[in-house]
Amino acid sequence: MAAKGNPAGRAGGLAAIREVKARHEDRLLSLPGVVSVGIGTAAGGDMEIVVGLDRHRPGTESEVPVELEGFRVRVEVIGRQRAL
Amino acid sequence: MQEELDPLRLVLRDMRLDLLERENVVATGIGYKVRGGERTGTLSIVCSVVEKVAGARLAGNALIPPQVGGIPTDVVETGVIRALQARTDRWRPAPGGVSIGHKDITAGTLGCLVKDDAGTYILSNNHVLANSNAGSPGDAILQPGPIDGGKNPADRIAELARFVTIAFPEPAPPSDCPIGNGVASVANLFARAVGSTTRLQAVRPLAAENQVDAALARPVNIADVRNDILEIGTITGVKQGELGMAVRKSGRTSGLTSGEIQQVDVTVDVDYGSGRTARFTDQLLAGAMSQGGDSGSAVLDTSSNLVGLLFAGSDASTIFNRIENVFSALQVHL
Repeated sequence: MAAKGNPAGRAGGLAAIREVKARHEDRLLSLPGVVSVGIGTAAGGDMEIVVGLDRHRPGTESEVPVELEGFRVRVEVIGRQRAL
Repeated sequence: MQEELDPLRLVLRDMRLDLLERENVVATGIGYKVRGGERTGTLSIVCSVVEKVAGARLAGNALIPPQVGGIPTDVVETGVIRALQARTDRWRPAPGGVSIGHKDITAGTLGCLVKDDAGTYILSNNHVLANSNAGSPGDAILQPGPIDGGKNPADRIAELARFVTIAFPEPAPPSDCPIGNGVASVANLFARAVGSTTRLQAVRPLAAENQVDAALARPVNIADVRNDILEIGTITGVKQGELGMAVRKSGRTSGLTSGEIQQVDVTVDVDYGSGRTARFTDQLLAGAMSQGGDSGSAVLDTSSNLVGLLFAGSDASTIFNRIENVFSALQVHL
């Protein structure tokens, strides 16, 4: 029963998505311009992996998979994070 | 009491514009006349002035007559009256949300007060109170922070007590031996543990990870700090940050702002200037609700439960440590 907007519709909650994120985040963070990897909520209410970019980077954006082990991955430009 | 004030109100209504027109007068009101520093029982029309000047030196019109409409007057010096005391001003006692900083930095925000068995401390970031690892216990903490005019020792409100060291990656020059990386990293950890200065070079920077940017300062005088947060009030408790939670903070630069936790479990690389970047795990991320100088702000939910410690961000985002990680690393509580 895959929800619309989340093709995989994987259940399992926070614990499951944490595991998936942990397996992939080192690789994601090593892509040019990636400043963060976190867990957010998609429009439909499902949890998704959010990859933060310092600016638009077509190269990196094309390398980030659309989903990982059933969880949707979204790319968001959040800028370079500085100590305030 | 009401009837007693009525004649003064009538006179004040007639005379107030005439009094306020005089140079130096910033406010008029009704109060007991003060003589020789002591409050008398005589009601008077009080004129607040920026600066008290001897009558002989005043131009005729600037002088406040000793009586107006048969009511005695009093002149008190209040300085320039501002709408609100600014967060970058000197505050005693100082609440959460105002400017503070280690003597060698610019300024950050006083988060809130926390405790352990030994006493009460000011909580803020390492990079605010401990100058990003460069500070030593006992260093002067100024309120306001140096960039807001705080001077040492005149504005010294506290001393650096302790901080969680921020782990920055080991600087490592490029190498063409990728296989050695894992071995070198493990060996570096070992070398660090035994305090050796001859470390093996890793191919990639050692991925040192942090959970908090946090430090404590011990107030020089406990009466100089306040257990509340400006525009928020008293902290009611501690709560775990969750996706979708509405939060707010009270900070030196952008004041009271609110947002929503958009991401949890965030691993993020944060720029500390001078080419230093530190990686943080288990962070909370909200939208734009902070600016430079807001670092150290307490982040609370809408019921004033403490949720996080703000330390980083961009034009589009704000990053804060989970308060439970801060409390556990520093061994403190509310």
